[in-house]
Amino acid sequence: MAVRVHLSSNLRGPAGGLAEIEAQGATVGALIEDLDRRHPGLGDALRSGVSVVIDGLLIAHPEYEPLADGALVYFVPQTAGG
Amino acid sequence: MTVTESKPRYKYVGTRPVRHDGLEKVTGRARFAADLNLSGQLHGIVVRSPHAHARIVSIDTSKAEAMDGVKAVITGDDFPAVDPSNRNYDMCVNIMARHKVFYEGHAVAAVAASTRDQARAAAAAIEVAYEVLPAAMTIDEALAPGAPVLHDHMMTKGADPPATEPSNVSDITRFAAGDLDAGFAEADLVIEREYTTKPVHQGYIEPHACVADTGQDGHTTIWCSSQGHFNVRSSSAAMLGWENTRIRVIPAEIGGGFGGKTTIYLEPLAVALSAKAGRPVKMVMTRDEVFRATGPAPGTKLKVKLGARRDGTLVAGDAYLIYSGGAYAGSGGLLGAMTVFESYNIANFGVESLNVVVNTARSAAYRAPAAPLTAFAIETMLDEIATELGIDALDLRLANAVAEGDPSTMGFPFARIGFTECLEAVRDHPHYSAPLGPNQGRGLAAGYWFNIGESSSATVNLNEDGTATVVTGSPDIGGSRASMALMAAEELGIDPLDIRPVVGDTEAVGFTDVTEGSRATFATGMAVVEACRTMVAELRGRAAKMMGTDIDDIDWVDGQAVYTGSDGDKAPLSVAAICAKAKRTGGPLTATGSLEAHGAGPGFAVHLCDVEVDPETGVVRVVRYTASQDAGTAIHPSYVEGQIQGGVAQGVGWALNEEYIYDSDGVMENPGFLDYRVPVASDLPMIDAVIVEVPNPAHPYGVRGVGETGIVPPIPAVANAINDATGCRLRNLPMSPVRVLEAITANGGSDG
Amino acid sequence: MSRVHVTCTINGDPAEFLCDGGQTLLDALRDEAGLTGAKEGCGTGDCGACSVVMDGRLLCSCLVLAPEAEGATISTVEGMAAGDDLHPLQQCFLEGAALQCGVCTPGFLVAAKALLDRNPDPTETEVRYGLAGNLCRCTGYDKIVRSVLAAAQTVNES
Repeated sequence: MAVRVHLSSNLRGPAGGLAEIEAQGATVGALIEDLDRRHPGLGDALRSGVSVVIDGLLIAHPEYEPLADGALVYFVPQTAGG
Repeated sequence: MTVTESKPRYKYVGTRPVRHDGLEKVTGRARFAADLNLSGQLHGIVVRSPHAHARIVSIDTSKAEAMDGVKAVITGDDFPAVDPSNRNYDMCVNIMARHKVFYEGHAVAAVAASTRDQARAAAAAIEVAYEVLPAAMTIDEALAPGAPVLHDHMMTKGADPPATEPSNVSDITRFAAGDLDAGFAEADLVIEREYTTKPVHQGYIEPHACVADTGQDGHTTIWCSSQGHFNVRSSSAAMLGWENTRIRVIPAEIGGGFGGKTTIYLEPLAVALSAKAGRPVKMVMTRDEVFRATGPAPGTKLKVKLGARRDGTLVAGDAYLIYSGGAYAGSGGLLGAMTVFESYNIANFGVESLNVVVNTARSAAYRAPAAPLTAFAIETMLDEIATELGIDALDLRLANAVAEGDPSTMGFPFARIGFTECLEAVRDHPHYSAPLGPNQGRGLAAGYWFNIGESSSATVNLNEDGTATVVTGSPDIGGSRASMALMAAEELGIDPLDIRPVVGDTEAVGFTDVTEGSRATFATGMAVVEACRTMVAELRGRAAKMMGTDIDDIDWVDGQAVYTGSDGDKAPLSVAAICAKAKRTGGPLTATGSLEAHGAGPGFAVHLCDVEVDPETGVVRVVRYTASQDAGTAIHPSYVEGQIQGGVAQGVGWALNEEYIYDSDGVMENPGFLDYRVPVASDLPMIDAVIVEVPNPAHPYGVRGVGETGIVPPIPAVANAINDATGCRLRNLPMSPVRVLEAITANGGSDG
Repeated sequence: MSRVHVTCTINGDPAEFLCDGGQTLLDALRDEAGLTGAKEGCGTGDCGACSVVMDGRLLCSCLVLAPEAEGATISTVEGMAAGDDLHPLQQCFLEGAALQCGVCTPGFLVAAKALLDRNPDPTETEVRYGLAGNLCRCTGYDKIVRSVLAAAQTVNES
């Protein structure tokens, strides 16, 4: 699956400052592995404390979330509450 | 008053039945944790540090252990050693200090005795030798060159270049978009302001309390007041080094939390004492302990710069935010960075936020953590911009407000949100154009909170008589049980008063995350709906058996199985009729729903506040208050209003009165409700809660969380109203009479 | 230390309990008499969660020593309802959603009843000042004040 990835600005360090990346993955977990191959260290930054938004839906623990071809995946910091 | 988008008509959702747990609560029969007593119960008391920062040289418990009635004494040595790399490290060493104490009130030992007096006497006889260390009590002290470093292992995360020495900065978060310099160059008006705020306490009326009963088989049962009993189980297990299965947690009624009961303080101590003594142990904090040792919200220093074009368009924002998390790393900085510019479209922005540790109690979540303070900055600055540019303050917000499709600070486009609708609801409210009296002023402010989803479980059991029990794992702080019953009633088609909603213990219902992030009615409600839909499918199947037909010929209509096939007429079957035959059609009727809830919908609120300022004393009275908030769909509108009204009251207290005060030795000087003054009934007017309903597309009934957003706008709403009344801009909290009077009389219109 | 024997009337019934000389009335009610409706929110008379009426006077039971109850007549939240019939204040609190967590509710009900006993037709301001000794952190007081006013109306109409 070819997927478009958007990183929130605090997560772009390991990606050399890139906001958008084209990558591959049938699930978010596989996508993160692919991103880590392209930008070593990015995987660690995305594996914990990070949620995704896909099609307007915030998903807090997305590792096994399936991805459609051409999907746009936003990686964002996880929130908490009181 | 409710402002509603067109939505499906519901029979029960949106009605206001008497809450199911109400009768017990108005008759004094509801059982809160401190109301429980077990046979043979001992009383546990915690020994706390008198110093803000000290090394523990030695603890001598021998005198205490020899005293009458004393059955167990514990210190940090009674718990497994824990390493800073462990994710539970901060929690574990906060619950019971090891080697060092980091704030006045930090637990160093605990004792259990037959009576409370005996336990208190024994606690006083425990001899702790301290080597007192210099303390850093404020953000400035913690960041000063040569400041005492609290934690040798604290290497600033996110530092650029990477940190090589430990410091009091736990982490740095940065967000950016666009081109900041170009943005400010484009601005016709640029203002830069600084703000300071003090730690404040959640102020729940019920102090922390628990009873733990550990048996000879090494299993324990904990009864406690918490926002999440599954978290009490896992956190206690982590601290004790036990498996989860050795701990059962039974939730008592909870007497307020507001985020402060999302973490734990007493439970592992009670378990350890109980295990050592072989008896149940009850522990109840005093109010003094609650203030000194449990979670205040962080104090802050904020610096924000905003640029706007002449027409009011915001074009650039730069924020430098410092949050003090108390003695351990907090999360205020990250959440502040994520909220500061979130409500408005600002093409060019930069945010840098720091979490700093200081020698005060470890901060805990407090209702929309961090957001009220970023709103204080942004929403008062927007007022200044509106005044400077001659634009109406509400129009300025309408022009810049985020709406569906606009990018959030994190980059993703917002789904359907109701910020504009909240602004319009206030604009259209009679309050907006009502005349003001002498010395009065009016302030407008908006607020935002994410809301979260996370894991929830629910079980629906139909009883023999056709009534239902709905069991969930979400402690009910503000009426969520009533909401669960209403959603179940809507799904099943039976009266909500024929449904008993209960909070199940850790062995009675599936795992459920803490009641926090305004998630209970959203996420646990989704689990209830899922369970009910499974139940309805089962009921259709049972009805098909009873009618001698196929399930596909049965519809579920208004609480009845209705035959839609072509084989003549068949009388509909009610839930009660199907339940009565359950034994013959397949056995008990039970269904579960458990899920990880995706799609929590952001909440927006817009508040309008009138104050009257006494020019001779500086006393500020809130005289009228209107609060609009997008609830998505209000399941039980009375309790939605209650959440909004409660958030307003807390926010007004934060704005005007509340603060932690320490003496020069780092000892809290106001650990009681006399000197830490929360609003009372005579401090407040009626609070007109205007529910806006822009349904959340991700929830079956359109629910957004409502618990937290209401505390975000009050601080700036009050500050803007004070400015309107006096011409004075106050940028330091609390806006106490002394500060207001100084601003009016001495400082030429500001508080410094 | 020998304990003190106290004989009093609680919610209309004769009652006896043993207490320590230094024990508060609140602790004696909760731990000796088994009436846990009154709560300890502060222990310093600032929150009103322990409100009871003793000999016609509304007070914080955390500020009264238990032996002072000797011979006294005490009313607590547990005595407000007449059998199955809730007091109008209790009914109005339920219908008006005047409670969220409910831990302050017993104190508010006792204080509100004392207020209405002495001022059956209070204004909103009188209700607010009459209940200023009771803290609620959940409701913002709006629905509590409305419910007390509604209860006053119910009582006066009946």
